[in-house]
Amino acid sequence: MTSRVVLVPGVLALLPEYAGQTDPVAELRAAAVAAVGWAGPDAEVIAEPQGARVVEALRAEARAAGVLAPAGEPATIVVANGSAKRTEKAPGHLDERAAGVDEALGEALRTPDPQHLREWDRGLAAELMIGHVDGFVALGDLLASAGPAEVDYADDPFGVQYWVMRWRCES
Amino acid sequence: MTLRLRRHEFADDHKLMMAIVNRTPDSFFDQGATWAEDKAFERVATVVEQGAEIVDIGGIKAAPGVEIDAAEEKSRVVDFVARVRETYPGLVISVDTWRAEVGDAVCAAGADVLNDAWGGADPELVDVAAQYDAAIICTHTGGVTPRTRPYRLEYDDVVAAAIADTMAYADRAVAAGVAEESVVIDPAHDFGKNTFHSLEVTRRIGEMVEAGHGRPVLVSLSNKDFVGESLDLPVGERLIGTLAATAVCALAGARIYRVHQVVETRQTVDMVDVISGLKLPRRAIRGLQ
Repeated sequence: MTSRVVLVPGVLALLPEYAGQTDPVAELRAAAVAAVGWAGPDAEVIAEPQGARVVEALRAEARAAGVLAPAGEPATIVVANGSAKRTEKAPGHLDERAAGVDEALGEALRTPDPQHLREWDRGLAAELMIGHVDGFVALGDLLASAGPAEVDYADDPFGVQYWVMRWRCES
Repeated sequence: MTLRLRRHEFADDHKLMMAIVNRTPDSFFDQGATWAEDKAFERVATVVEQGAEIVDIGGIKAAPGVEIDAAEEKSRVVDFVARVRETYPGLVISVDTWRAEVGDAVCAAGADVLNDAWGGADPELVDVAAQYDAAIICTHTGGVTPRTRPYRLEYDDVVAAAIADTMAYADRAVAAGVAEESVVIDPAHDFGKNTFHSLEVTRRIGEMVEAGHGRPVLVSLSNKDFVGESLDLPVGERLIGTLAATAVCALAGARIYRVHQVVETRQTVDMVDVISGLKLPRRAIRGLQ
């Protein structure tokens, strides 16, 4: 039996209560709404409380846009993101180590490389302001039998590394 | 109620900038800078570029001075209105006049609004507005004669007087045939008012917004003497005080702002609308990445 796994970042700008006249994350939003929609209405959500709110909002947008898949394959949505210290303007300012850690993490997500996703230097992850390490660990377990990721979005427009990815897993 | 200024309609949540364009050699703020017709036309182009929805064209300064008869006033504004009308079909043209004869000529030339800064001194002005389906701005002056300064005028309650007089004027306009959605009320800061009166009107402008029952409130605050006396600053140094008064009026719901500085006033009003939740921030990402 196959299942679907989705990764989205826990970006608060995706929440309706933080909307402006123009959307600073329009491209990310489009990718994230489509991916959360693909996971369907009953997907399990692995997220911290803020991330769970983001998924709820994205799911509502997917439903409103008519892109919420019908209930079917089991699915999981993980909310996590890379470092928030990628540039001088980033929320945590620049940490030179962030780019390398994010690059390896991104590669481990694309491949996927479950072992890399499970093994963390948590002290370094905290210093680099990686978003929700436990989410990446959970992905390591979920993606044990997954094929390569569909990468819908991979960018750091505000100094924080975001990914929107989708996987199909055989179980 | 949707505001209609002759050909132009504006939704309730749309606050409007009315840019002052003087066709006078002696107005207090610009000292005749746009007296030459081409200079006045350049001023129109500038304020349109800056996003003003309305221009308010005036041929006589408000303060006492050389007598300007109706023929001279018309020679200053009528052809100019026609030129602006032809060049800017989407722009609302208001003319600052109290004379029905002048109102008739400018409406025929394409004006949309008659801004009667002198509170109905010429009773036939409302008939002209009705005849052309134009809008009218009904101001409160305490009954003073046009182009006179307030002298020892006092009120039991200046705000109550402003509400009563402007609403009575507005009712008279509607009775004469002006459309209800084309009537605007204006407490007229400094007209028939000393600084304390104008400050009280500013402080209590929300009462006028409420009492207007949907009739939009216009405020004309720009660089006026009540700002100057409040801060002891001459004309030319009153922008910040003007904007502070603008913010107070915007928060209370005033709809139209008659201004010299369009960009600064628009930013002030937009900021107030964002603070009060009437508008969203343009673009917010700080702390939300």
